[in-house]
Amino acid sequence: MTGENGEQAVENRRSEVLPISGPLERGIDSIDRTLATGVNLVLDFTDCKFITVDGLEWLEELLLRSDSLGSTIEFTNLTPSVYKVFKVAHIDSLLRACGAPSRPTGPNC
Amino acid sequence: MTSTIKDQDHALMERVNHLVRQARLSAAVWTQYSQEQVDNIVKAMTVAAIENVHKLAIAAHEETRMGMIEDKILKNFVASEFHYHQIKDKKTVGIIKEYPEDNMVEVAEPVGVILAITPVTNPTSTVIFKSLAAAKTRNSVIFSPHLMAADCSNLAAKIVYDAAIAAGAPKGFITWVEKSPRLRRETELMMVHPEVDLIFATGGTQLVRAAASSGKPALGVGSGNTPVYIHKSASYASTAMDVIISKTFDNGTECPSEQTLVIDAEIAPALLAEFKRLNCHVCTLEEVTKVADVVIDPRTGGMNYKLVGQSADFIAEKAGITVNQYTKILLCPLEGDLRHHKLAVEKLMPVLGFVVVNSVDEGINRALDINYAGGTGHTAGVFSEDDSVVERFADAINAGRIIVNSPTSIGGLGGVYNNLNTTLSFGCGTGGGNITTDNVGIKNLINYKRVPRRKNYTLTFQTTKNIYINPGSIDHLRSLKTKSAIVVTSRSAARRGHLSMVLERLPSDCKVDVFSDVGVEPDFSTIEKAVAVMRQSPVDTIIALGGGSVLDAAKIMRLFYDNPDLKLQEVAVSFLDFRHRISVFPQTVHTQLVAIPTTSGTGSEVTPFAVLKDNKSKRKLSLVDECLLPNVAIIDANLTKSMPKEITVDTAFDALTHALEALASTFSSDYTDGLALEAMRLIFEALPETLKNPGHILWRHKLHNAACLAGMAIGNASVGVNHALAHSLGAAFDIPHGKANGVFLLSTLEYNSKIPRKFMPTSTYPLWVADQKYARAAQFLGLTDEDAKSGETPTREKMCVLLRRAVYDLARNAGQPLSVAELGVPQEQYEQHMVELVTGTFEDMSMRTNPALPLITEVAQLLVAAYPPRERP
Repeated sequence: MTGENGEQAVENRRSEVLPISGPLERGIDSIDRTLATGVNLVLDFTDCKFITVDGLEWLEELLLRSDSLGSTIEFTNLTPSVYKVFKVAHIDSLLRACGAPSRPTGPNC
Repeated sequence: MTSTIKDQDHALMERVNHLVRQARLSAAVWTQYSQEQVDNIVKAMTVAAIENVHKLAIAAHEETRMGMIEDKILKNFVASEFHYHQIKDKKTVGIIKEYPEDNMVEVAEPVGVILAITPVTNPTSTVIFKSLAAAKTRNSVIFSPHLMAADCSNLAAKIVYDAAIAAGAPKGFITWVEKSPRLRRETELMMVHPEVDLIFATGGTQLVRAAASSGKPALGVGSGNTPVYIHKSASYASTAMDVIISKTFDNGTECPSEQTLVIDAEIAPALLAEFKRLNCHVCTLEEVTKVADVVIDPRTGGMNYKLVGQSADFIAEKAGITVNQYTKILLCPLEGDLRHHKLAVEKLMPVLGFVVVNSVDEGINRALDINYAGGTGHTAGVFSEDDSVVERFADAINAGRIIVNSPTSIGGLGGVYNNLNTTLSFGCGTGGGNITTDNVGIKNLINYKRVPRRKNYTLTFQTTKNIYINPGSIDHLRSLKTKSAIVVTSRSAARRGHLSMVLERLPSDCKVDVFSDVGVEPDFSTIEKAVAVMRQSPVDTIIALGGGSVLDAAKIMRLFYDNPDLKLQEVAVSFLDFRHRISVFPQTVHTQLVAIPTTSGTGSEVTPFAVLKDNKSKRKLSLVDECLLPNVAIIDANLTKSMPKEITVDTAFDALTHALEALASTFSSDYTDGLALEAMRLIFEALPETLKNPGHILWRHKLHNAACLAGMAIGNASVGVNHALAHSLGAAFDIPHGKANGVFLLSTLEYNSKIPRKFMPTSTYPLWVADQKYARAAQFLGLTDEDAKSGETPTREKMCVLLRRAVYDLARNAGQPLSVAELGVPQEQYEQHMVELVTGTFEDMSMRTNPALPLITEVAQLLVAAYPPRERP
């Protein structure tokens, strides 16, 4: 699934918008299951005002899994407080999911 | 073998990355916490620490074999209870400080991931202290303990971390490096790890230096060498007890503890006797040598680390000295040159040097010897009931904390004996290679975001209080309250009959002098002459009768007459912002100043300005202050009836320039705009009529009023680049001020009506509106576009052109030169002076209120453009 054909395949997948309702304190099984069906995901953070370390780690892992499945995950409607968490966390995959440019030096840890 | 080392290195790096990653994620999560959440977490951590003070003290003593359990308990209490008490109400989230008078707030931003290095001497208390400080400031902290104290330090970290997590803190915000032979290497890797934001190092000099040279921001807190001066005024008994408490505290492991006492000879016998009575051992010189041999490591010249935190009797035994087992301190007289004595260094054990001195000077000098032997920036102490001695000592000694009449070790910790911030980390400033002399704490773990609101200046409108404004108003002089007056004027005033008009109206019982030596551009010698006359024959009133030069000179004469000690240099300093100027003017003047203008131009009778020629620099000195405002102005047009045509036109163009520049000034306001517009309208109306019929009092009256109104406008809004150019030209070629203004007017109106290349940075001028102001002026004058089609509204740009055209027509009608060439200045000469003209213009204070910030090249262009004869815009 590389090159133009791969990108085409990703684009042709069905996209599903899933809300993150309330604080993100741990992994959300329903999102894990939906990702496993091979769809592209759009995670809507409109109602998410707080995120924990476990929440961050789950998101990072989710993005890794989506990569291996060849699907995409996009974060939308981030509140500044949550977006700042991603900025301070310095995790490249999270920032890319927000649409931010990849850090030139990559993650440091 | 090589692969094994590589594998080990890889595993080490993995561990480092893991620790730092945990800290990084929790630092990110911390950013969301409120003050309330943070405070609850800190409280829970404190409670957990207090519950474990004994356990941790025992663990620290067992592992390090240093100090005393009892004192380590106290240290743990200081780090938890005392520290908590000091920080619990401090704001560390959101707006943490407000500066209402500066319209500014400070907002906290965590520093992020802290690598905290902890010492062997205070292994658990430092961890408690730094953990609480990190939590309070929403930072993550990775502890790198001393290898000889790693287990107890990490136990302390775990205790407070578990409590914090239970209270809702982010997972992983406290982590620690486990005890291992590679602990030091792991620490070094973290010191340069890109995800570590700050190193907070407390410990040995080497480690602190490593932190400082890591390239990271570092709070490095290292060794000291505390001198304590005991002045003869001190109480020997309480001093002895305080020193004993301090030097025996945890067996002397506290780095602020006393290292050498400097004792006044008068108090030395009693003090030493008291030390002996309280079971300290005063060594003989032979014993001092023995003590030094074991206490000092001959390889380094520093203390022997094996004896750090050991008891006095243990050290004595090692030195081969017999003392009783309860001996508190080994007191060592340091004979000879103190600067070369082996024991004149830091000794973190109950071994204390002392010297006896014969004066305060000698005492401070010996204290300096110790201070500068490895202790700069750290701690010093003084015992004295004489505040002046304390002051002199504090002034001389370079120490972050100078503890007065109390133990330096516990005193340095803060909170117990004084109100210093509680700390286990003593900033030593540049003297110790540190960034701060603070008792390091939460305030050093915050990034301070300053949020200044725009300055809101209070604009005022000020002018001369009493203005008499109609023809014949000179009669007011008849009722002037004065017993002794001086009329300051020019020779021409007498010729034109103005002087007699004044003299015959002054009250009959008033003694009157006349000073009529004010020339066209007076310098300070004229002022001095007049003031000398007034000193010989004191006056209560100065009556200024004449044009701008006379009025300005009289303002300065009054200033120096009322303030004999004033220096011209002190009040004539240039400034960028009126409110921040260096010049300090007297707040009051008591001599009455009556200003009677005989020309219709400067408006000086209502302005707080005065200009004086400086013969040395060949420049004009501007004095600006409210105290220069006259008390009375008499605007009587009868005094202008005999004004020659040329002066009438020159001065009218000066007033017109005032009006137009005040209108566009960055300090303009609705108040000054109204005055400027009406002044301008009156000039356009009255000047042509006056020229047609010079003796017509009504038009003279209107011109006279116009000059006064424009004066009020510039008195509050000031002028602009046109005046700066005119001052420069006038100084270089002796051109009358009105003429000099006139030749630049068309250029500066055009320049200021175009979007500036650089806006003038002034808080009072939030929006560039110069073109709107000029368009409004054109509208106010009722100017219309003769080329426009009927019903077509002229653009703003066109209105600005119409204004320039009207100025051109007025000047041509009045015969006023509009270019430098028309003044008769030869082009070659003008060009030769160009650098001087540009420099003079650029340095002129009038530039500061111009709506555009003229670049040097633009000033040059304005000067060049002003030379050739003008064409109608």
